[in-house]
Amino acid sequence: MLHPTIIAELREAVGVDGLITGASQLQTYECDGLTNFRVLPGAVVLPRTTEQVQAVVRICARHKLPFVSRGAGTGLSGGALPAEGGVVISLARMNRILEVDYANHYVIVEPGVINAHVSQHVAAQGYFYAPDPSSQSVCTIGGNVAENSGGAHCLKYGFTVTHTLALEVVLPSGELVHLGSAAPDSPGYDLAGVFVGSEGTLGVATKITLRIVKRPEVVQTLLAAFDTPQAAGQTVSDIIAAGMLPSALEIMDTLAIEAAEAAVHAHYPKCGGLLLVELDGQASEVEALMRDVRALAEQNGAWEIRLAQSEQERALIWKGRKAAFAAVGRISPNYIVQDGVIPRTALPQVLAEIERMAAVVELRVANVFHAGDGNLHPLVLYNRTIEGQEEIALDLSYRILHLCVDSGGSITGEHGVGKEKQQALGYMFAEPDLATMQLVRCAFDPESLANPDKVFPRPRLCADRPGPYTPHPLETAGVAEIF
Amino acid sequence: MSTAELTLDEGLARLAAIAGQAHARIRGETVEVAPADARETAAILRFAQENGLAVTPAGGGTKTCWGNPVEAQIRLSLERMSAVREHSWQDMTCTVEAGCPWAAMQTQLARHGQTVALDPLWPERATVGGVVAANDSGALRLKYGALRDLIIGMTIVLADGTVAKTGGKVVKNVAGYDLHKLMTGSFGTLGVITEVNFRLHPAEERTQTWTANAGDAAEFAEPLRALLDSQMVPSAVQLRVGKDGCALDVRVAGRGEAIEDCARRLSKIFSEIGMVPSSEAVWGARQELYDAANATILKASMLPAEVCPVSAELRHWATTEGAGVQCVAYPFGLMTLALQAAPPAAFLVQLRARLRPTGGSVVVLAASDEMRAGLDVWGCDADALGLMREIKRRFDPNRILNPGRFVGNI
Ligand SMILES: Cc1cc2nc3c(=O)[nH]c(=O)nc-3n(C[C@H](O)[C@H](O)[C@H](O)COP(=O)(O)OP(=O)(O)OC[C@H]3O[C@@H](n4cnc5c(N)ncnc54)[C@H](O)[C@@H]3O)c2cc1C
Repeated sequence: MLHPTIIAELREAVGVDGLITGASQLQTYECDGLTNFRVLPGAVVLPRTTEQVQAVVRICARHKLPFVSRGAGTGLSGGALPAEGGVVISLARMNRILEVDYANHYVIVEPGVINAHVSQHVAAQGYFYAPDPSSQSVCTIGGNVAENSGGAHCLKYGFTVTHTLALEVVLPSGELVHLGSAAPDSPGYDLAGVFVGSEGTLGVATKITLRIVKRPEVVQTLLAAFDTPQAAGQTVSDIIAAGMLPSALEIMDTLAIEAAEAAVHAHYPKCGGLLLVELDGQASEVEALMRDVRALAEQNGAWEIRLAQSEQERALIWKGRKAAFAAVGRISPNYIVQDGVIPRTALPQVLAEIERMAAVVELRVANVFHAGDGNLHPLVLYNRTIEGQEEIALDLSYRILHLCVDSGGSITGEHGVGKEKQQALGYMFAEPDLATMQLVRCAFDPESLANPDKVFPRPRLCADRPGPYTPHPLETAGVAEIF
Repeated sequence: MSTAELTLDEGLARLAAIAGQAHARIRGETVEVAPADARETAAILRFAQENGLAVTPAGGGTKTCWGNPVEAQIRLSLERMSAVREHSWQDMTCTVEAGCPWAAMQTQLARHGQTVALDPLWPERATVGGVVAANDSGALRLKYGALRDLIIGMTIVLADGTVAKTGGKVVKNVAGYDLHKLMTGSFGTLGVITEVNFRLHPAEERTQTWTANAGDAAEFAEPLRALLDSQMVPSAVQLRVGKDGCALDVRVAGRGEAIEDCARRLSKIFSEIGMVPSSEAVWGARQELYDAANATILKASMLPAEVCPVSAELRHWATTEGAGVQCVAYPFGLMTLALQAAPPAAFLVQLRARLRPTGGSVVVLAASDEMRAGLDVWGCDADALGLMREIKRRFDPNRILNPGRFVGNI
């Protein structure tokens, strides 16, 4: 429970209707999309303006109270998990689209704006907002910026960071700064580039300038059925090797197809590996390239190839793919979503190894992946009511991440590190790498108040001596000297 | 090298002990040293830090005059770190040492028909590290994005000798902070970049360039808007403004049928002005501005829709003032200007006043010492300057790396 004077100050800052302190209401905020981590916050505030955010953050700074920003709470790594006894700043009420500039291809939005609303807002003029996480109908731009979210179409169009031109940010001190600009290359360090993907640990984004993109002239979507995900994967490699850059390249395996079918009846062919290829651009070019894609799929043994014939067919194909995570709930009582990345060429070995690891512990793993950029979403299926199975499933999911790192990849391609993968970050990066990141953290947030104890594997204080030099083993052994 | 404790010769001896006799030498008042790898780089920086010596990391030396002048006691040359370490062509990524000349890297990548999709200045001499530290980019940025979007990882050496890796070798990766974004464009003030990982694109095989000519840049405003608002995806577009008029160049890459299709569309969009096939040589225009005698070179950033009107205003200004202004502008809002026969101070003030209200900026890149004196090279009025200084303080508390070169005297 927060001290009554702090509660009073927060009420002063955001008004009675902007403050939640009742235990049952607070429960709504105790977790995000990663529901096995739960912490009850001390209070939740719902500011309506940048000034209110600043006032709240200043109160936190004064009392050295941790705060956690929150968008829609769909994060899958525990990023919006409250800090014990701290304040949750929900940006849900800051949901206005403030400005649209078609001549300069940008929009300015508040952080609580829902991702899909941006595209809807500019659709009539033939534009869209490119990053399209599967959760786009509910997740917020503020959350997207914090996670540097991706989506199926990021292969061609780039991630949130590519589309974030400028940010208004309330620093953990309460100071307001403007990072980046709608005009390119503003002089100084690229702090907007650093803030995107910082998972709420560097401050609160209160205004975001996003690039909007002209809708392509035509979009064609093709489904190809293979016996194995490996064959689908080889087709992906061949498409890329041929110099094409499709807007999306997705693969689903048998279990994932089964789940998607059960949930949304996408009429997918029943197969071992389903490949979804989307090409967009000028009509003449897309048609020619699609012929090549077809040929490559056939070469790799595709036994059914379908080209969506209408916008409805295309939408249905995507509906199945985008519903895949949630759909897995239909074939398993519980599941863990992972988000590893591997170099595309490692796909066959990594898939085989995941299968082997799962078999050893007698669990099933469904696979959905953004194959074009090697981003795997292994879904580890388990049953919580079977004693000990949750631990085994968790352990398997972390071992899969280690496998990704060992294959030259990353522990996360779009869901972020958050609370879930703190230790795994320590597996991926060495101590000096983490210490260097910490320098940035300390410059923004010397008191570690913004989303503390996330991302990094162990708590650190900014007073810790930064950037330790690790002596070379030869030096320690006295065999060699540097000078 | 004249700190209280060390003579130039002592410094040379210490640095030679790190990098080898053959790779350290005295040049005027500085010691030039070329380490073989990140570990030697770390040792040099630790030595500099312990002795309070300023270090300037050096690549091809093509952009040393950008930013404020630096007086360094150690010139740390990356020339020995010049290899393409890895080209995973099937994954379309590569790892390149910072001292590798840009063109040499591209030659290597071209063996598999791939490229880092960026066209920086003086590619034969400019090194990967220098291009990245200065955040240079050319016309290709329209289609392929800024340099920072092509970089997926880096190895950097900090002032205290910490060797850190950031990012990785995969295109999609959100683990930890993107320090490589911080390093891109940091002008060697936060650390020495020793290795860069890039994402690659297929090299453009067939390209075609067209050019339209007009007396005034304002005439291009409408067709350019139509072009950018169309569904065409040119790989480069540039506006050239000079004494004799203005030209707009468009380059398209793709298969035969796509290029023909573009030709038809372009002739429609530019039906009034007329557009004719021209040569690839026009894309050297930005670099050619630097050859103008006694010119002050400025980089102006503006909103895309301001490119044509600002170009027209500049030409008008030049005529009335009797000054010479040539510029090459890209439609995403970057313009390089060569200003002749006019002291830049007043011009700079005017142009900044014109561009700032919409978030634009003007930076002085190249100028004679005489012209440069008294100029605010960066013109950075960001409210985040305090934060930038704090980042510098955390990374380089003793200010040994390119001290004073960057914005706000960072
Ligand atoms: C079914 C499902 C599918 C998904 N598919 C994808 C996908 O395809 N691609 C993908 O990338 N992600 C996906 N996600 C993950 C998630 O939707 C994204 O990470 C999204 O960006 C989170 O947005 P949010 O508004 O829910 O943020 P939250 O979960 O509320 O918060 C996420 C993080 O952002 C921080 N934050 C929120 N707002 C701000 C702000 N204004 N300033 C600073 N920090 C802030 C929080 O502190 C937290 O660390 C999926 C999630 C689900 C449930």
